[in-house]
Amino acid sequence: MFHIHLSLFSKTKALEADIDKFHDKLIDASISFTKAVKIYLKEGRNADFEKHSKQIKLIEHNADELRRSIENNLYGYNLIPDLRADVLELVENFDKVINKIDEVTYMFYAECPQIPDEYRESFNELVHLSADAAENMCKASRSFFRDLSTVRDYSQKVYSIEHESDLCSRKMLENIFASDRQLAEKLQLRQFIDGIAEIADQAEDFIDQLLIFTIKRDI
Amino acid sequence: MALTFLFYLSSGLFLGWSLGASEASNFGTAVATKMLKFRTAAIISSVCVILGAVIEGSGATKTLDSLGDITSLAGAFMIALSAALTTAWMVKLSIPVSTSQAIVGAIIGWNFFAGRTTDLTILSEIISAWFLGPIFGGIFAILLYYLLKITFTHWKLHILRKDSLTRIALILAGAFGMYALGANNIANVMGVFVPSAPLHQLKLPLGIVLSHEQVLFLLGGIAISVGICTYSHKVIETIGNTIMKLSPLMAWVVVLAHGIVLYIFSSTELRDLLISWHLPTLPLVPVSATQAIIGSVIGLGLAKGGRGLNWSVIGKIVISFVITPITSALVCYISLFFLQNVFQQVVY
Repeated sequence: MFHIHLSLFSKTKALEADIDKFHDKLIDASISFTKAVKIYLKEGRNADFEKHSKQIKLIEHNADELRRSIENNLYGYNLIPDLRADVLELVENFDKVINKIDEVTYMFYAECPQIPDEYRESFNELVHLSADAAENMCKASRSFFRDLSTVRDYSQKVYSIEHESDLCSRKMLENIFASDRQLAEKLQLRQFIDGIAEIADQAEDFIDQLLIFTIKRDI
Repeated sequence: MALTFLFYLSSGLFLGWSLGASEASNFGTAVATKMLKFRTAAIISSVCVILGAVIEGSGATKTLDSLGDITSLAGAFMIALSAALTTAWMVKLSIPVSTSQAIVGAIIGWNFFAGRTTDLTILSEIISAWFLGPIFGGIFAILLYYLLKITFTHWKLHILRKDSLTRIALILAGAFGMYALGANNIANVMGVFVPSAPLHQLKLPLGIVLSHEQVLFLLGGIAISVGICTYSHKVIETIGNTIMKLSPLMAWVVVLAHGIVLYIFSSTELRDLLISWHLPTLPLVPVSATQAIIGSVIGLGLAKGGRGLNWSVIGKIVISFVITPITSALVCYISLFFLQNVFQQVVY
């Protein structure tokens, strides 16, 4: 008769664990991404880079499975009916950041771009900024589920890091296009810079949405 | 005799049915947001409303009975019918009507017709309770809102756990609200029949004995339950989606606040407790559940920044304080005239 079973609480617990694991995937992906690009910039596409690249692919695959499981359980067990649509949208957009990390890593793997020595440090910096933005986005998102009071702090950090990443990528593009390299080479480098910076951009978009949902959730 | 009694009681049962159909919106948000199935809500509501009516229905009934001692079944029938018709008419005019105001008006109409004097002290107590109902609703909603805010600021709870707790809290508050509705509003439905109903004690299993008054309240409670089960679905959906478009947590605040209001105006135990503590007491008077809910929603709006103050709704409530009893009194007076002179019934 009553649709409040003990199984609902165990399901809630399982779903809570899934949401936590889903967030862990972004942290894992971000760490592996930073390591992979660092290795690539130093030694090119070697076995170590390939190991990290495969790891990111696996993380992305697991994250997709977790996302589907979270979505199915939210609907299947009729949980948080008033916030379900918002949470589903957040989960989808969160997953897009993991997908982007995987996509950029694969670009390095497949295209093996020649990164000129003078840009390697800037590339490293841009990768760190994007990974940092993604990690802070992850913290903000975790807070949304547990402690609304800290969402704003992490969100502010994401905005600030994204701004830095914008400045860094623009500076890199200006330098590249001011050089006397081949246009094809310039365009390929631009594609990589845009791809890496896109991670921070997507984190920022996620935060924009998260802040609106936070206001809605606040009592 | 039994058939005559049932016929006369039918107007009270009809009033009970319409009360169940229209005022039992405690589970509105929970059902509208699909946190709770309608069937579950209807079963909990029915059980609690009957329990409230039987266990604590006598407090408010005594006050209503002291306004007019209706010793004729035909008179009681017409009072309840006039109140029911007035309520239906006001609902059609979209005025947040209260069956309490309608029944009080009808009793005054009967007093006029029977040439009895209306006890103005009791009347003023009742009218003050009508004003206090929505005001207390607002105050309790504000207090509960801040209590929730403080609790959740310090208690970092996962969104999913909060959801599970909210469900349980909504069920408990809804059940309490329905219990309080039964305790408070049964006076409107059955109060006028108490002096004249030819009923006896009822012995139930487990040594439970219901007095004749409680048997009447049981019948009224069943009528309210039938109203809940047969017709409240539409009202619940409407209230859940329009008037009370609140988050489940805020709905909990409103439902609990209105439940407390109904309870403090009906519980003799609470009154005795306040007396023993030398604290001021409140009159035990039937108040409007809908108006208490509106008061709570307005209070919640004020607590959240004052955006919820809807003057037109407040105006409509005050208008209904005046229009409903007057209309009901007039309808009752005219109907009693016909009942006495055309149908040759003893109405007082």
